[in-house]
Amino acid sequence: MEATAPEHGREAPAQLPTAFERLFRAEYPRVVRVAFRVLADQDEAEDVAQDVFLSFYRAHPATAEYAAAWLHAAAAHTALNALRSRGRRTTREAAHAIPEDAASPDPADAVAVAETRDEVRAILARLSERDAVLLTLRYAGLSYAEIAGAIDVRASSVGTLLRRAEDAFRRELA
Amino acid sequence: MNAHDIERALASREPTTDTEQGLERFRARVAREGVQPVVAPARRRPPTRWLQALAAAAAVVLVASALALSGVAGTVLTIFEPKSVTAVPVTQADLAQLGSACRGAHLEECLGAYGTFAWTTPPQPSEVRSLAAASAAAGFAVLAPAAPLPQGVTGATRYGVINRSTATFSFSADAARAAAAKAGRTIPPLPKNMDGAKLTITGGPAAIQVWGAADPAATTTPNTLGGIPTLIVGQAKAPTVTSDGVTVDELRGYLLQQPGLSPQLAAALRAITDPSSTLPVPVPAELAISHPVKVQGVDGLFIGDSTGLGGAVIWQKDGMMFEVLGSLTETQVLAVANSLK
Repeated sequence: MEATAPEHGREAPAQLPTAFERLFRAEYPRVVRVAFRVLADQDEAEDVAQDVFLSFYRAHPATAEYAAAWLHAAAAHTALNALRSRGRRTTREAAHAIPEDAASPDPADAVAVAETRDEVRAILARLSERDAVLLTLRYAGLSYAEIAGAIDVRASSVGTLLRRAEDAFRRELA
Repeated sequence: MNAHDIERALASREPTTDTEQGLERFRARVAREGVQPVVAPARRRPPTRWLQALAAAAAVVLVASALALSGVAGTVLTIFEPKSVTAVPVTQADLAQLGSACRGAHLEECLGAYGTFAWTTPPQPSEVRSLAAASAAAGFAVLAPAAPLPQGVTGATRYGVINRSTATFSFSADAARAAAAKAGRTIPPLPKNMDGAKLTITGGPAAIQVWGAADPAATTTPNTLGGIPTLIVGQAKAPTVTSDGVTVDELRGYLLQQPGLSPQLAAALRAITDPSSTLPVPVPAELAISHPVKVQGVDGLFIGDSTGLGGAVIWQKDGMMFEVLGSLTETQVLAVANSLK
């Protein structure tokens, strides 16, 4: 993954095809959001989004009908790979993230939320790839039709698959 | 934890995304890395890099398989017959180090750095017209996937058969020294009892079913990805290896001594508890994911590229090795694999 190092700016920024810039502007926020659901880290999520768009840019035309679906699926898979490879956060790091949670001003509650968040991510890393991707895309706000496009199933199957993924998630909790 | 808690933990915060800043960073990176956009016409499921990476890794697995085998000194025994498969992560650095002897895709050249490789009965692929003909030529019932095939897999099926092939490999300390010197590398000396030891490798027969491959006789190839198959189903008699004088620990130990081996690959090779019956499958560490799956009621291995758009499942059952791969999702690959009958 590309490091978030400051740009030295020797080269002039590249001119990108108009169609690609349009695609980037339309999909970047959602690609970041999908990665963020998995990683809960702004910088890491943006790194994943940059890598995903670069992979797409190298190999696919921006006008491809599958562009958005490809980006959503790639964001989820790449973020899950990053989650599995970074290992578990230390308690200290997790605690560090607590103040960012404006919904939990009480420290005890915030710790509980952070622990829940860590537990959720540990389970995501253990789930089957498909179940983890389904949950990630759903909680990133994608519609059933968009999820269907990303994982290449019929939209009518998504509800059932999501329920199974949530069941698998709960079994991991048990 | 209930569904509300899951949602709360997964979706309690929103990232603060600055799209224009992201685009600026992307433009700078494209310029810095000299990345060019694709100019090929749109294809629904373009070939992914994992196919290329797996092809490059194929040479490495041949070396790794040959070197991860076991034997009993002084006797000729069947020392390798896979009953299970396991993933070994192969990094780009491993490919560069271990594959430096592989100047081409030919096994002879690849293994030339460690000894002498010779085909006793070389593999001769041939195309046949039907499933029945493939079964007859292979000498076993070739299993076919049930209809309907996944969306995007279209066109006529092509059938190929590869005969039962045998090869021998003799370790040679002189060859190892010469190849290393020629390549300007330093490799650990071959242990004395490995010098001259011979492995006999038998593979196949194998049958392959392909969808979406270009027919060279056809002038147009509709429903294909520019000639790249969308689905391949392979079935083969499990390969076996016999040895007349080298032990599994010596072979694995020698492989682990090779310079530049990544810690991941070394750890994975050390972790194989029964190398005489475990087929190590190389998985490009940077590009692919792998995990165990249940397929046809047995343990198998799924390998997919990191985008989730290409995948393969490999398993062993009843003395046969099976593989299903294609530009498909994991669900689709497993559905095809489980439908074979």
